[in-house]
This record gives sequence, structure tokens and C-alpha cells, in this order.
Amino acid sequence: MQPDTVLVRTPKGDEILRGYGHEISANQRHALLVVDGKATVADLEGKAFWVSNLNSTLDELRGMGLVQEEGLTTSPEAGPVGEAAPQLQLKAQLAALAKELLGSNADQIIKKIEETDGTPGALEQALLTCKKIIKLTINEGLADTFLQRGRKVIGK
Amino acid sequence: MDTNVITILNIVAILIMFYCLYLVLTLKSSIPGGMVGKQWNMLTLLVALFSVGYLTTPFFGQLPTEIQRLVVSGIFVFGAVYVLITIRLIFNVIRELTE
Repeated sequence: MQPDTVLVRTPKGDEILRGYGHEISANQRHALLVVDGKATVADLEGKAFWVSNLNSTLDELRGMGLVQEEGLTTSPEAGPVGEAAPQLQLKAQLAALAKELLGSNADQIIKKIEETDGTPGALEQALLTCKKIIKLTINEGLADTFLQRGRKVIGK
Repeated sequence: MDTNVITILNIVAILIMFYCLYLVLTLKSSIPGGMVGKQWNMLTLLVALFSVGYLTTPFFGQLPTEIQRLVVSGIFVFGAVYVLITIRLIFNVIRELTE
């Protein structure tokens, strides 16, 4: 995929992201989450360090019809990203925060965030749950830091 | 007591303890740290100790009486420590989840 390509999620991609199913792998979910319709593939490669083999993963997602190049004519079934984009952006920021604080132990937390309804209330509830998981099973010292920084991200 | 019954009980105990060892080692990767992770290391150590100790039980009759008493006392002490850690762990988890 060209570095200057800008990708957007298709409605099918948004639906998959909001769902709880396992149609795609965790890495594909992480990649789908960072696609925002603004950043180029090169930008994403620099930003989304927690996604393995981002370029090829994006190719896979395009092949599955979950993302497409910005500006392409779309069918009604594959229109541009809808109102869910800001909420998904919050999730992406929280996932990045988890990766930054917890490194390789962040997967469980990222999954929890991805499975959450994107509203601020639901995200705050997810943050509280994640704080408990972090305190119990990952790192007691980082639990409160994650909660405080996460709340700032969602504006609480 | 019938020697066969004792042997069977020993074998069952060894098998269960090694299954416990397998479980604690498998779950360790899911609990890299935190409140549970710290206690889990201690539990893993104790289960490993019990596993080695249980392996000696088929040869227990060949040990001097004093050593036998020492081993049994050791099992009692470490068993009590294991129970203490487990109860504290459950207590802390419940407290954290209901906070």
C-alpha cells in the first residue's frame, strides 16, 4: 500500500469495530481502530506502533472490505465513516495510552476498551474496570495513572 | 492400613499436585504482576515445593522416623502458609472488585 494513501473505514468496518465478535484478529482490530480518514498510511505507521505489520494488516482489511481509500466512490453499503468516528478516536487514544503505560501487557486492556460502547460514560466505566484489572494483574503502581490519564482523554 | 491403598492415595496426590503445578505455571503468563501477580509467584514456589515433596512419599517408609516427622511438620507449616496466602489473595481481590 502506498505511504501517501489515506484510508477510511467502511460501514462494515465500523460495524465490526463496534461489535464483540471475533471476525478479525486482535491485531486487525487495532489497525482498524487507528484508521481515521485523515492520516496517511505513513502517518499511521509512525503513530500506531502497537500494531504489528501495519501496512500488510491494512491491506488485509482493505481486502476484507473493512477499509477503503479516501475519496473512492462507494456503494450505499460502503459509505464513509459516520458519527461513530469521534468515539472510535477516543478508543484509539485510550488504546495508545494503555500501550504506552503497559507495553506488551496492554492487550487485555486494549481489548476491553475496544469492546466498550464509545460513549464517554461507558468509556469511564471501562476505565474503572481496566484500572482494577491493571491493579490486580499487571502493575499496582500504574493503575491510578492509567485511570487519571484516561479520564483526561475522555474529558472527565 | 493396606499398603496398596496408601500407594494409590500417594499416586493420586502426586498427580493432582503436578496438575496444580501445570496450572500455576500456565496462568503465570496471564498475570505478569500486580496484586495477584506478586502472590502468584509465592504460590508457584509453594506448589513446586509440594510437588517435589510429594514425589518422595512412595519412599517415605524408608526414611528415619525423625526425618519423617520433620517432613510432615514442614508440610503442615508450608500448607498453612499456602492457605494464608490464598485467603489473603481472595480477600484482596474481593475488596478491590467491590470498592
